[in-house]
Amino acid sequence: MDKQVYQNFNQSIYREQLSNGLKVQLLPMEGYHKTYAILTTDFGSIDNHFIPYHQEEAITVPDGVAHFLEHKMFEKKDHDAFDLFGKLGADSNAFTSFTQTSYLFSTTSNLHENLDVLLDFVQDPYFTDQTVKKEQGIIGQEIQMYEDDPSWRLYLGILGNLYPNDPMRIDIAGTIESIGRITPKILMDTYKTFYQPANMNLFLVGRLDPEETMAWIKQNQEQKIFAPTETPRRLFKLNDPTAHDVIPFRSLTMDIVRPKVMVGLRGTKQFDDGKQRLHYKLAIDLLLDVLFDDTSDNYLRLYNNETLDDTFGYNFEMQRGFHFAYFSSDTDQMERFADEIIDILESADQQIEAARTRFEGIKNAELGRLIGLLDSPEAIANRYAGDLFAGASLMDEIQILETITIDDLYQVAKDFITPQGISVYQVVPQHQ
Amino acid sequence: MDFNLARGVDLHIIPTKQFKMNHVLIDFATPQTPTNATARNLLANLLETSTHRYPTQTALARQLASLYGAYVNLFVNRLGMMHTVRLRASFVNNRFVNEDLFEKISGLINEILFHPLIDDGEFDGPTFRIQANNLRSTIKSFYDDKQFLASQRLMDLYYRNDSVMKIPSFGQIADLEKLNAKSLVATYQSMINHDKVDIFVLGDIDPELARRVFARLPFNNRVPLSNSPLYHQLPYDQVQRKTEYQQVSQAKLNLAYSLPVYYHDSDYYAALVFNGLFGGTPYSKLFTNVREKASLAYYASSRLLPFNGVVSVQTGIRASDQERVQDMIQEQLKDLQNGNFSDEALKEVQDSLINQYRAGHDLASNILEQQLVAKLVNETNKDFVAEIKKVTPADISQVANKMKLQAVYLLSGER
Repeated sequence: MDKQVYQNFNQSIYREQLSNGLKVQLLPMEGYHKTYAILTTDFGSIDNHFIPYHQEEAITVPDGVAHFLEHKMFEKKDHDAFDLFGKLGADSNAFTSFTQTSYLFSTTSNLHENLDVLLDFVQDPYFTDQTVKKEQGIIGQEIQMYEDDPSWRLYLGILGNLYPNDPMRIDIAGTIESIGRITPKILMDTYKTFYQPANMNLFLVGRLDPEETMAWIKQNQEQKIFAPTETPRRLFKLNDPTAHDVIPFRSLTMDIVRPKVMVGLRGTKQFDDGKQRLHYKLAIDLLLDVLFDDTSDNYLRLYNNETLDDTFGYNFEMQRGFHFAYFSSDTDQMERFADEIIDILESADQQIEAARTRFEGIKNAELGRLIGLLDSPEAIANRYAGDLFAGASLMDEIQILETITIDDLYQVAKDFITPQGISVYQVVPQHQ
Repeated sequence: MDFNLARGVDLHIIPTKQFKMNHVLIDFATPQTPTNATARNLLANLLETSTHRYPTQTALARQLASLYGAYVNLFVNRLGMMHTVRLRASFVNNRFVNEDLFEKISGLINEILFHPLIDDGEFDGPTFRIQANNLRSTIKSFYDDKQFLASQRLMDLYYRNDSVMKIPSFGQIADLEKLNAKSLVATYQSMINHDKVDIFVLGDIDPELARRVFARLPFNNRVPLSNSPLYHQLPYDQVQRKTEYQQVSQAKLNLAYSLPVYYHDSDYYAALVFNGLFGGTPYSKLFTNVREKASLAYYASSRLLPFNGVVSVQTGIRASDQERVQDMIQEQLKDLQNGNFSDEALKEVQDSLINQYRAGHDLASNILEQQLVAKLVNETNKDFVAEIKKVTPADISQVANKMKLQAVYLLSGER
């Protein structure tokens, strides 16, 4: 077990990769009452094209399989894992993103038992025709619920523009049609391919004793027999890595009253390693603050002429194989909003130059926000992006952020902002 | 640790080394009236936008950024009939930045609360106009969030026409038109001079220093608030029903029950456990039967409002299943009334509530909320864990039998 000490934050991380390949990280937090544990597989909704474990032929699985699998992992022959956590006084949950699926619990008692439940239910698949059929009803309702959510439609809409021929254009949960095609066999093939211990990581944060906890995990894993590791053979490839297939504009009409608009920006840079990727991500975060945060003159001008309002927000997402940023607001001036945002992006160099005096403040603000996350076991564990960021923790992020200078921003702006990568999506009230 | 700063103004200090951030919460409380909710919400927005020294939100934001991204915001809330304006601030502990942030933040809070951008008895005109527009847009856009909309419409259906509770804590557009830059100054004066004020400071801070720093805030004495926040309503003889149609994929069926069990009543803890069994936890009857077994909904949950005497139920369903779902919800309640639930389920719910309660101590905002509620109703916290464990199956049935269906609201996409 390796121990890494972060003196500034009075915090340590303990790491070990077990003999079956599972990566384990433990971060004790003094004074905390609860322990948060999250088991993640490097597998999400975009991983729909692959060669299954120990097979020869590639398959394309229906959209929404990763999320469907997440739901179905809880149900076993004679019990539901959810209830086991309940009996042990823990809260449990799970979620699926484009590139990851995570199972978690949070508890103030019975840590050892809950940990066993987590490892056991995720490592023991059970799928039948009947249970698959039942889940199609529940997930169908979930998909419909999201269909009525304009913010989610806006987000998915811009992804559809940015990646019109890639799996990111589809809802993580799939469609009612696609989940209707899911069978127990598809789930099992997928499970065997992506739920191998070597494709997963376990992160515990909060109240825990590292030595004791690591021993419990090993004890659990050593009792089980795992099939030999085979690195997942994903066939994911962007349709057009140069982003020339981006759809510049689309809109959707809904039964709403406030128009909503989102500008998307797709990046095309490729990275040599996770470290470089993380540095890039943090530099882009700062770049976007320079251009758009509430200390900028741009923001004040657009706020005062009511091009945007307090609903304005922006974000940068770095995922396995792709990255993009988006900027959105409710506004009565949708065209103007898009034009202004695009103008600012395209004049990034001048904007950075003009922000020299503000830069230290912006960086300190970002540092303060990241330090604030250290008070949340969930944030520490959920933010961990595995190999994507070379195993960096939130504390590593803070240390890297401190090294970024304003001069780094020119380069990332040049890499990230290209005319073909820009797109606009609107959600428009039907009675307008 | 409690200090009295002026009559009706109390400072509560919660020293802890658990967190890397420090937190301040200042609560201004007054009974809600037919007109004050909208005005106070707009006031909160004006106060957080600018001050005399920082006359634009950018100037204020830059000051906050220079304090390591310190965060200060104001918003309104409601606890039963008590309307509250709250200022919340959080900032990195001094030891990470080698700077006395605490001193600077308290100075900024002083600036925000006591030196708003008012000249010649009026708030700054352009700021007022934009903030009024923004609030109008915000209230309008609640229509776009269908789950929220359904819960608002349900409560509107539940509250009687002459009740001030019918006006949401965030206000209403009709009242906004009556406000102006001058009238808001009166709203401000009233809040700063007459509201009950509770200041909470949580973090790694020397209590004596905190007392000295916050004693500088120039609060006047005020008449202590004697009103109870608890809201009582005469039950309807007939269930109030309303259906509305919009272009939605998923229908929302929401129900309101009256449950006259209030915060810290003798059966309050039984009501918490009852709600956990009914629909308040994933081990509840609504979740396991309506969602998991019958596959009729993606969400089906209940919420206890212990200052309002209400339990609400919210579900997302197919419109054609409305009657089936409603019958099923009633059956779940009947089961609880008749003691039809396992000891195992009861224990799961009790453990879950206890786990949530204990885990809540790891979240600063949660600690502050708990303490605030206790101060607003002048009660010291009882031993939560012991009280929850004491609840018996008979207690649950007794509470369940007090539930009375009052309102049913359906938002449907199918005519």
